[in-house]
Amino acid sequence: MTCEQLNPLYEEYALGVLEGAERAELEAHLARACDKCVPGVAHARWVVSQLALAAPEAQPPGALRGKLMDAVKSSAENARPVASFEKLKSPRTSPLFPVWAWAAAAALALITGYAMHRMNNQYDQMAELRKEMKLAIAQNQALQNQIEMERMVNSVMMSPDSKPLKLMPVDKNMPMVHAYLHPHMGVAITADQMPSMRSARTLQLWFVPKSGKPMSVAIFRPDPMGQIALVAPVNMPQNEIAALAVTEEPAGGSPQPTSAIAWMAQVN
Amino acid sequence: MLLAVVQPWPEGKQPTDAALMERILQRDSGALEALYDRYGRPVYSLVLRIAQQPASAEEIVQDVFLQLWRSADRFQISRGPLEPWLFTMARNRALDFLRLKREKQRRREDSDSDILPSAVVNPDPEGDIDRSRRAEQVRALMTSLPEAQRRAIELAFFEGMSHSEIAETTGEALGTVKSWIRGGLLRLKQSLGEASS
Repeated sequence: MTCEQLNPLYEEYALGVLEGAERAELEAHLARACDKCVPGVAHARWVVSQLALAAPEAQPPGALRGKLMDAVKSSAENARPVASFEKLKSPRTSPLFPVWAWAAAAALALITGYAMHRMNNQYDQMAELRKEMKLAIAQNQALQNQIEMERMVNSVMMSPDSKPLKLMPVDKNMPMVHAYLHPHMGVAITADQMPSMRSARTLQLWFVPKSGKPMSVAIFRPDPMGQIALVAPVNMPQNEIAALAVTEEPAGGSPQPTSAIAWMAQVN
Repeated sequence: MLLAVVQPWPEGKQPTDAALMERILQRDSGALEALYDRYGRPVYSLVLRIAQQPASAEEIVQDVFLQLWRSADRFQISRGPLEPWLFTMARNRALDFLRLKREKQRRREDSDSDILPSAVVNPDPEGDIDRSRRAEQVRALMTSLPEAQRRAIELAFFEGMSHSEIAETTGEALGTVKSWIRGGLLRLKQSLGEASS
């Protein structure tokens, strides 16, 4: 995908909702320090972070400030060099606490500090691992879905019962869309060299019946390589389908076509 | 490591975030206090919204500022302002907490009485005014969105859900959820762009 195609995805990436191939594409751009995507995502992170201000305002407990500063001082003192340890060796006439108590307290503080440090590290590592695992699962799932879809498309295309159709573009500059109508397995749609689409738009396939309103079959978009490969179920008797048509619709699809037919093929 | 002996701030002039971070690098705990006074309230509000438990929110906020103290060297002011960095760190910590809590299936609500009122400290009036203006902008935008679209964005931001998880939770089509979130974020971006210009 190009930087221009990735641009509308920056905020979704910053929000953490982007999944699968789109996320992988954008991360590839970021990994190679793309001079458009890196600042674009940085700005998107700022935009998304501002959603924090939509949280209902709450006042932190007054004691929290003191607790925080105690913890800071304690962590600073734990890390203090041992130069003053000699003072502990000097005899005290009436020590408030014996040396062993100081040593035990110091050991306890060190153990606590170490445990907190380890816990923090493990917490961070766990969050990072969880993030990586989620990404790997999403990528794996996207790949499996793609393989399965290609297998289904091939089955419909190769079946002797499938009826091949050519959906001719109204705009002569657009590529032809191929359809294979199978009575049971559904309708397979394939196309190459499709132009990229605006993120707010989608393509929608319709069965146009001999009488009555068009029936939505599927919504789809070309992949980053400009290819389309999908199989959708046939939801009306094949002999009642007069034509197959594709229109461009708002993202998410429409109950009925809202724009002119972009591709069409006569069936019966 | 010793706490640095610090100079007081010049009267009438509030230090920038970058200056405070520099002083944190010199182990000046007063600088951390100043940053807490500046950002403690919005960070706590965000974390409480996500974690839903005042006691846990308090721990997470303390953890966030301690992390700021310990990892100040990892923050490079040249990368951008501190506020989004802090908000992002707080959101991630709170979402991690939420996920752990969900995994353990032991959600427990604290009583409202845990929220103690305390004095409002306002050491950075200009920063607060600017943030308050942006907060109004963001809230107005969220209120103007249709209920379902607002809910989708809230589930993504405050509950860390993915597109698919939101579609599953709301029972809406995945494409619809994606379109809602994309549209909402675009409006937020435009709104903040207009506000800053």
